Amino acid sequence: MSETVLDISDVSSGYGEAMVLRNVSLGIRPGEIFALLGKNGMGKSTLLKTILGFVPARQGSIRLFGEDITAQPTHLIARKAIAYTPQEQTLFQDLTVEENLRLGLPDNSGFTEGLARVSDYFPIIGKRLKQKAGTLSGGEQKMLIVSRALLRSPRLMLIDEISEGLQPSMIQRLSEILLAERKRAGTAIFVVEQNVPFAFSMADRYAVLKIGEIADDGVAGDESAAARVQEQLQL
Amino acid sequence: MADLTTTPVTLPRRPASGRLRFAGSLAALCIIAAIAGPYVLDSYTVNIMVRSFLYAATALTVDILWGYTGILTFGQAAFFGIGAYAAGITFTYMDFSPQTAVLALLAGIAASAVVAGITGWISFFYGASPLYVAIVTLALPIIFVQVLYSGGTFTGSSSGLVSYNTFDLSVEAWFTICGIGLVVLTTAAWFFVNSDFGRALVAIRENEQRCTYLGVNAPRIKILLMVVMAMIASVAGYAYAGYTVVVAPEIGSFVFGTELVMWVALGGRGTLIGPVVGTIAIDVTSAYLSGNLPYVWKLIVGSIFVLVIVALPQGIAPVIRSGLRRLWSAVSGRDTTPGLAVPALVEAVEGHRAGPSSDAPALDITDLARSYGSLKVLEGVTFKALGSELLGIIGPNGAGKTTLMRCLSDGFERTGGTVAVFGRAIARTPPQAVVGFGIGRSFQTTSLFETLTVAECLRLARHRLDGANMFGHAPTLALPESARHVITATGLDRELSIECRHLSHGMKRALELAMVLALEPSVLLLDEPTAGLTKRERTLIGSILVDLVRHAGLCTLIIEHDLDFVREISTRIIVLHQGKVLLDGSVAEVVGSELVRTIYAGGSHGQARP
Amino acid sequence: MTALILDIITTAAILFAVAAGLLIILGVLKIVNFAHGGFLTIGGYSGLVVTQLGWNPWLAYPAAAIAGVVLGAVVERFIIRPLYDRPLDAILATWGLGIIIGQLITIIFGREIQFVQTPIAGAASVLGETYSLYRLFLILAAALVAGGIAALFNATRLGLEARAVIMNEPLARGLGINSGHVRFVTFCIGAGLASLAGALITPLSSVDPNMGVPWLVNAFMLVLVSSVSLVSLATAALTLGGAQVLVSTYISPVIGGLTIVVLAALLLRVRPAGFGNG
Repeated sequence: MSETVLDISDVSSGYGEAMVLRNVSLGIRPGEIFALLGKNGMGKSTLLKTILGFVPARQGSIRLFGEDITAQPTHLIARKAIAYTPQEQTLFQDLTVEENLRLGLPDNSGFTEGLARVSDYFPIIGKRLKQKAGTLSGGEQKMLIVSRALLRSPRLMLIDEISEGLQPSMIQRLSEILLAERKRAGTAIFVVEQNVPFAFSMADRYAVLKIGEIADDGVAGDESAAARVQEQLQL
Repeated sequence: MADLTTTPVTLPRRPASGRLRFAGSLAALCIIAAIAGPYVLDSYTVNIMVRSFLYAATALTVDILWGYTGILTFGQAAFFGIGAYAAGITFTYMDFSPQTAVLALLAGIAASAVVAGITGWISFFYGASPLYVAIVTLALPIIFVQVLYSGGTFTGSSSGLVSYNTFDLSVEAWFTICGIGLVVLTTAAWFFVNSDFGRALVAIRENEQRCTYLGVNAPRIKILLMVVMAMIASVAGYAYAGYTVVVAPEIGSFVFGTELVMWVALGGRGTLIGPVVGTIAIDVTSAYLSGNLPYVWKLIVGSIFVLVIVALPQGIAPVIRSGLRRLWSAVSGRDTTPGLAVPALVEAVEGHRAGPSSDAPALDITDLARSYGSLKVLEGVTFKALGSELLGIIGPNGAGKTTLMRCLSDGFERTGGTVAVFGRAIARTPPQAVVGFGIGRSFQTTSLFETLTVAECLRLARHRLDGANMFGHAPTLALPESARHVITATGLDRELSIECRHLSHGMKRALELAMVLALEPSVLLLDEPTAGLTKRERTLIGSILVDLVRHAGLCTLIIEHDLDFVREISTRIIVLHQGKVLLDGSVAEVVGSELVRTIYAGGSHGQARP
Repeated sequence: MTALILDIITTAAILFAVAAGLLIILGVLKIVNFAHGGFLTIGGYSGLVVTQLGWNPWLAYPAAAIAGVVLGAVVERFIIRPLYDRPLDAILATWGLGIIIGQLITIIFGREIQFVQTPIAGAASVLGETYSLYRLFLILAAALVAGGIAALFNATRLGLEARAVIMNEPLARGLGINSGHVRFVTFCIGAGLASLAGALITPLSSVDPNMGVPWLVNAFMLVLVSSVSLVSLATAALTLGGAQVLVSTYISPVIGGLTIVVLAALLLRVRPAGFGNG
């Protein structure tokens, strides 16, 4: 389907012998914000890693912008119009803010105007360019990874549990920025989360992942959907 | 599900005597060849081969250290040199007599043992990288040669010592003696590496860290092995000095040391026969060809060596062996994959469990902390756990759960606080010592041994308590009832001779659990035991765990993400968040807690990380 | 006294220049290039070829560097790349390669010691002492090498990508960096540097097919004792090189040759991170 930006079809993957994801299928449309929810250890991060090729898909296929990327090496996938903010090991701690940002682009072109744009969203980034990334606070580091992803105006963003450990005001700001980027550039956003209110504040559609399988999905419209999903994530 | 009173399982064992007979006849043939050789071969070849036999014996020691145990060493040449110079120096300055002959032999062996002991002590410490021992053993021959140079005329400096009086034996006699010596050594080594203890060496090579968590004192085993191998190399050097009547620095040099490694790699590391035959073949061929084309020959050997490392890392012997095997089955029409002897499982006499009679709590943790520089992964963790408690440890990613387990099972891991097991405090001790306190830990990612069979893994887990047979296989394997229960309930008892790498993921996790239980721990630390399992497998493991806690009275800590699972089986839950204990209470208290709900389901009010 | 201090500084400079190529390969590719001695030898013999052809001796340096880079490209492609996840085997394979290089050179050039024409002859007067001008030149050469590497790593896109790969290869790949390409280029540069160093050191003594071996071991130890930084390599070269000079002067040259090896092994035992930070 050329209608979808990302098409995941019957994908199973895992580490070593362990199958973490089983027969997962979902599709993301252009300009859509899609939320994948689930508790810890259910396979959400693994799905993002499988899309990027860090973890090979044992079965099924993944199409990005209509192209089959299932067996491609990570660095080739990462060069397409896609940006990924991982949950762990997100930054080069000993490189400066500017150097970390530059690595978000394939080469030095387009850096200046991209930097102007993300400095608008996060003024503090523009002020700390020469500082080492490891010296930033946790929240500032998250701003940096989002900035790095936004720098290249991707057609698809993959965001892994960005809200964890952030102040509520910061979470609100993130939600606004992502919606603004979607409006400006038509970026599709695949948000992986445990924070239901945050996810639902942006998402058009959602799915819930439970022990490696899609347990529920639908339109992220109303209060009842949010409450139902919240219930599923409960202890 | 099988009930707890299953009788010990006995499996039909394929007699090991078939292999024994084969080894015995091969050895006998070689001894005959050693006796007959001088009459069949020309004198030049006989001359060369005496030397080759001694090199082969030394290469054998390199194979045991590197091929089997994973210790990359360039230093065996130094021990060969020590043995040789012990003879050379003694015979030059004290002349030759039966007394000095014995003295020189013992002096060489003693010196080698001491140097090897020091080398091992330096190299095999907690947290050492395998590269470090390669460096230290590389330095050994360099230092040895420099010491010889600085010894001036006493050691003969760069020309060495020559023409001392020595054993009055003909070349043919030397051939037979060294040949038989090599056969005996190889046969003994063969029994050794194929014994239960030999399999433990392979386990150390494949996953040393896991071995230490099973209570196997890997560093000590490696040091002892190094000492024994050094002593053997020293004897080979002694014979060399006695035979060639020349000792020069080249025989203890690092070029020789690296040549030994090359011969082992080419012959086939970890095959014993490969290095022995390979060394003899290469040395004899070198002797013939290097007269005519010395540099071209070395070039060829070097090129083949590089090719083998890149494309055929197991060396040439395994290729020949599988070729022969296929030929044999084609000719005889029989399948010759060797059946593995499997031990009978018996009941272990459980007296080893540490301290359940003590009044102190099973686990007493006070103010436990772990930081990396300014990053605090664990802070102020304090709680007690009693026997018969099943403590579920939950918390978001990065909360410090696995770090907590590491701090409880490895005395060096924590940066602050105390941990006591039944009243005994764990000091700065490595994992193998902590196992002795009664702690048994399983790992989050299956951490097994690829080429070991299920039975061999279980035996490894019993190593600390039951020891290991050094020259054969013990016919029985004692396991505590809890471990046998896991094995029979999951069907592992039918897969005792299967290598770990062929097991399904669920079976691997079951084996991991059985191995930890085989340690007879008093405190069980399980890190995500059901990760990656199907629903059915989860239920099985869960019920086994519940049974264990109720009947065996183990204090169990379990990290899990599957909260339904944790809720079902736990008696108490501890919630970790950003390195601190957030809540410690009964299942009902934690499940009903508003605070925990917030942490888990979003809208966290936690501060941004510092 | 001046001579002693100059000896220490020039020895440190030489050690630094020799070890630099090994350091960047270890940092980016995480393997030890045991063919380093072989590349040193190639550099030395490039100098010999220049001398035998009667060319300007200064041409020895670019000739050596080019020879190193070209050979490095072939080696990376066929020997290093397949051994990406087998670092101990990479040591063995590169050691075998060193042997191959040694034998080829012996076959082509013969095994005698030969001499290379030095571009700078004579001595200069420094603070009352006469000292070899060429040795003083080597201080400059080492500084240029250090400067060149620093510029490459800190001021170019390739250098940025290389630093990223050093710090966290999976993250680098996740951002689209072709780490295989970075490894390739780094190896070529490292081999070129080794070869250049070989050309730099031959006017000090001579060339023979095995000249690289003693340098290999010392460079190896120095690199392990430094973490991946030029500053810590310079520190290691100064301290351990200085110790070597002192021991050689006051105890014996033979024992002096052991100083670096013994001190490095002991240092690593005590502080596995060596001279690095933390």
